[in-house]
Amino acid sequence: MLSNLLVTKQKVVLVIDELNRERIAPKFIGSLLHEQGQGAETIKALPTGVSLKHVATFEALITELSNHNNNNSTQAGEAGDLEGGGSPGSKSSGFNVILPTLADLLCYQSPAFIFGFLNRLRRSEYVRRVFLWASPQHLQHPHAAYILAGCEYLAELVLRLETDKLLSLISRKPGGGVTNRRFSCQVSKTQFQVTPLDGGLPAGVSPKQPSPEVEQNPQPASSTFKIELDEDEVVARNALTLPYERTSEPSEGNIIYTPDADDDFDEEDPDEDLCI
Amino acid sequence: MATSVLLACGLNEQKLPGFVHISEESNVDGSFLISCILGQRLRISNAGTLLVCLQHHYQHYFNAGMRLGYNTNIFQGKTLGVIDVLSDMAGEGLASKWLRQSEGQTLTDQLVEDIRAQVESNYASRNSYTVLIDNLSILFNLGASKLQVQQFCQDLAALAKERDNLTVITKLSNSDIYQLTDNNVAKLGQVRIQVLRLKSGVFREVDGKLLIERVLDEGNYACEETRKEVLYKVNDRNVKVFTPGEIGVKV
Repeated sequence: MLSNLLVTKQKVVLVIDELNRERIAPKFIGSLLHEQGQGAETIKALPTGVSLKHVATFEALITELSNHNNNNSTQAGEAGDLEGGGSPGSKSSGFNVILPTLADLLCYQSPAFIFGFLNRLRRSEYVRRVFLWASPQHLQHPHAAYILAGCEYLAELVLRLETDKLLSLISRKPGGGVTNRRFSCQVSKTQFQVTPLDGGLPAGVSPKQPSPEVEQNPQPASSTFKIELDEDEVVARNALTLPYERTSEPSEGNIIYTPDADDDFDEEDPDEDLCI
Repeated sequence: MATSVLLACGLNEQKLPGFVHISEESNVDGSFLISCILGQRLRISNAGTLLVCLQHHYQHYFNAGMRLGYNTNIFQGKTLGVIDVLSDMAGEGLASKWLRQSEGQTLTDQLVEDIRAQVESNYASRNSYTVLIDNLSILFNLGASKLQVQQFCQDLAALAKERDNLTVITKLSNSDIYQLTDNNVAKLGQVRIQVLRLKSGVFREVDGKLLIERVLDEGNYACEETRKEVLYKVNDRNVKVFTPGEIGVKV
């Protein structure tokens, strides 16, 4: 399912739609989230249409996200006091934010404002994921290509719906790894099934032009190594946070010092023992 | 007179979809569709219609109506309201409100305001109400930007969503340069009618092609939609439609 690939730890998800499905964009993203068990209470969407004219609409969303989360953490804190322990996942969960399509945003706001807002959401601790939908056939801004490239730069996951049966997915992990994979897809009104085409090639390698080494040295049938990943393994890999990846906000470094019993610490001259 | 073309477009029913867009390709004229729809709406009892004249003035629609078998003058001021931008400009010159941008209001803002006012005053007393706008591309000639036109259509779509039984029908000549605006307006509605020229050239018995796209159901991942193609010929007093392949060169 497409939702396995798209609803991951990556925060900013950009969908580039070449198929003119813009009218169902919010429904599409909502369904992906539902498939992954994200309840309606975790999904926040900006209203579409004329209300995007007002900056207050955007501010209201940010305020709503923080207020809602504060209320939740207060309630969780109170419950924690009673039960003798807090819920560690409550604060880090956050909301899934579905933005209006890029064409609608550009209809009422400047690119600078949109980038700024996207960045605010990206940095917000109350936001788990942000989804933005862009259809090149609907972008009529004179610098549409540049704006789309800017959005791709900000996004950690870029899904490109190329044709009815083909899509590509660029994934950037917090550690800096980039993968570019292509999938064949089977779309019905209620299901979006995907099948990997290339087994996950590294970024920059086009699956249409396989490297000569691959052709010359095909993997022997008797090999004991399993190189390709299936869908479940991809999901498991994306969900894994490696020790060096700092996905949450960096905490300040602290030196914990426990003085010995015979320590004579003089605050006025902390370097006394150095005999300088 | 025009029943067959309306039947082909699915616009012959009393209740129309909320937003219908007619895209006109370069070098073809789809104005006959506006006259056909206008005639059909006027014939329905207690159905209100607002005609926003941008490409032609009201007299043109009256003349076209007489040829198609209806008299707009009988309905004007009763079930038919008219915003005749061109006649206002011709009569009042530079003093016309459409050419003055008073209080920072753009042309499209003023137009939305006037349309809203007409709808407010007439909608309640009618069974259904239709706003016909012919033609959005004239707004570009009057100084509106592409964004303003898009916002104008968003406003109209919002108006249609606010009320049941209110239909907005727009037409845009994309002239091969407003394709993106055309796409953005079309996505606001469920029905898009494209008026296309014949790829093979000019033919005496056919003027062009209508491609009718209608969204039947919006699924989670895909839309169920129908596409229908018909050929049309606009005659002096009627419009004929043919299925592709029905007529050809007779040797």
